[in-house]
Amino acid sequence: MLEFDGLYKAYGSNQVLEGVSFTVAPGQMFGFCGSNGAGKTTTMRIAMGLARADAGKVRWSGRPVDEIVRRRIGYMPEERGLYPKMKVGEQLSYFARLHGLDARAAGRAAEHWAERLGLGERRGDRVEKLSLGNQQRVQLAAALVSEPDVLILDEPFSGLDPVGVDSLAEALLEQCRRGVPVVFSSHQLDLVERLCDAVGILARGRIVASGTVAELRSTTVGRQLRVVAPDASPGWASAVPGVRVVSEQRGDTVLELAPGTDDQQVLAAALATGRVTHFAWREPTLVELFRDAVTTPQEVAA
Amino acid sequence: MTATAHRDVRTPAPAHSDVKPHSPAQLVRLVAGREISTRIRDKGFLVSSAVLILLIIGLMVFQVVIGGGESTSRIGLVGGDQAVEQVLRQQGQALDTEVTVVQLADEDAARTAVAEEDVEAALLDPTGSRPELLVQTAGGSAEDLVQSALAALSVADQLSEAGVQLEPAPEVDVVALEGAEDDRSQATIVALLGVGLLYFLFILFGQFVAQGVVEEKSSRVVELLLATMRPWQLLAGKIIGLGALGLMQIAVIAVVGVAGALAFDVVDLPGQLIGTVLTVLAWFVIGYAFYAAVFAVAASLVSRQEDLGSVLTPTTILLVVGFVIALQAAQDPSSTMATVTSYVPGLSPMVMPVRQAAGEAAWWEVGLAVLLMVLAIAVIVRIGGRIYAGALLRTGGRLKLREALAAEKS
Repeated sequence: MLEFDGLYKAYGSNQVLEGVSFTVAPGQMFGFCGSNGAGKTTTMRIAMGLARADAGKVRWSGRPVDEIVRRRIGYMPEERGLYPKMKVGEQLSYFARLHGLDARAAGRAAEHWAERLGLGERRGDRVEKLSLGNQQRVQLAAALVSEPDVLILDEPFSGLDPVGVDSLAEALLEQCRRGVPVVFSSHQLDLVERLCDAVGILARGRIVASGTVAELRSTTVGRQLRVVAPDASPGWASAVPGVRVVSEQRGDTVLELAPGTDDQQVLAAALATGRVTHFAWREPTLVELFRDAVTTPQEVAA
Repeated sequence: MTATAHRDVRTPAPAHSDVKPHSPAQLVRLVAGREISTRIRDKGFLVSSAVLILLIIGLMVFQVVIGGGESTSRIGLVGGDQAVEQVLRQQGQALDTEVTVVQLADEDAARTAVAEEDVEAALLDPTGSRPELLVQTAGGSAEDLVQSALAALSVADQLSEAGVQLEPAPEVDVVALEGAEDDRSQATIVALLGVGLLYFLFILFGQFVAQGVVEEKSSRVVELLLATMRPWQLLAGKIIGLGALGLMQIAVIAVVGVAGALAFDVVDLPGQLIGTVLTVLAWFVIGYAFYAAVFAVAASLVSRQEDLGSVLTPTTILLVVGFVIALQAAQDPSSTMATVTSYVPGLSPMVMPVRQAAGEAAWWEVGLAVLLMVLAIAVIVRIGGRIYAGALLRTGGRLKLREALAAEKS
């Protein structure tokens, strides 16, 4: 288990983290979401020892993450960082060695990962000569080259084209299958929704929602019901007790039902107006969940 | 898209029996290895090395051409006996000139020899009443030589005609109150050359260290590095790696220089030359550690190569001052300024070698200067290491020293 336990961090008077806690199981892909400046990068940097938490601990397998554990973590910083004048292959092999591989194993691993991420022919090129997308791949390869036990990736998908996104996603899923816990932050919530087993939403210095996407959905208060009744006159639904009209547009209404309200009663009311072409609970997208979690002042339990 | 959000297979994290955590020394070695292998292929480094070696060789060739060694002189002789030849040679020795006497048949042969510059001058009829000296143009050193030789010959002749028997002059026993001045001046020149080289290499390798630090900071690769090692390990690896390269470079120059000096016979006392060169090498190690640490710490305060100049200037000025004082010290090694500055950390690597070569520094003085320097390096590494650690992850404008100390990483 990778545990983030009650992290606090302030920069001067700016309290960035106020007790961030979540856990990632081996083989789990954890999507770390939050608005800009919410503290995602700070959380990850604390895990990598690049920032010091005022309080709280990060643990891996029950053991506080120290330098020895950190050498088994593959890390991709938000600010991409590679030696611009070093050749791709040498660079990868250098990072592998820094993580504890011996020279021969490092050379093999560098070759393997360059090949695996489609950089085979660029191994002898300096990093600065590569396109941004390819540099991104080298960055990922640098995180993976030591066959890490844990992956912590800050915005790994930013700046990639759709093909690049797919190949990165495939590489990460493969790591999950190996049993590696993967934490990555992203603003691309559709991607998080598609890839992640678990999601954590960071807002106001805390995790305001976490769990699987399905869990988040089920715990969202005020689920919405969409009813399309083309012949209905405006305001038809407001008469039903326990129903709040969220939006209404030419017979297409979105309703929010108070707890305990019977949706069949709403359907009956709708049928009373004439034809009903659509009647379904809306599955909130992660984007909506996110917006909801980030804007509601009270915490959403998970 | 083949990816799915849910997988059933949960395997435990793989074990890595082949991966052992590195000891700090191994990490330092890895960093140092990277510095060396990157820099040794760097064009700037290769060019500067080649230029330095060419410069040293050129200097020696110049020394030989300008005639730093013994001069030689060929004198033609028409007529005259063994005694004349011998006197000419003796007189040459007195004037530090190796004289070769060439016997010529007659005046015509003598004129041709002088005109063709086969001989410097030709002496006609040396034992007669009107000896003549043929030269290309009047005023050469050969005139004095021949004049005094003939004078000595004539005095000896007249004395023996008058029946005076000459006792050989007593040999003078030389008692030196101070060390031999001449020998020391040569050692001082070698030391000064060495100090010039130190000055150049401190700046060159200091720049390499500084550029390396900023490169890591500006490319943000430092975040990845610090995820695997501590700042001091990165700093130590960088300084040691480049230092090894610098030492290699100065050693190559020293070997080429000493070998050349011996081969061209430029120096009188090879032992003293080698001693001075070794002193300079030792001062390189101490001085480099000092300047590299200062340059690295200063460079960690900025994030762009363009801003390097502003933070390196104070240290560069210290180097220039040290070099200027060293030049002064070569003139007057016992001056107060030279004596005092030869203890000041930072200045001592450039002033002390000159004083040592001039024979002005006692062993305890050198020891004290080295001790002060080592203490200074310890302080810089300690405080500078904290500044470096605090500044590495702070990018943006130029950091103040206090901010860097406050931001120190755990």
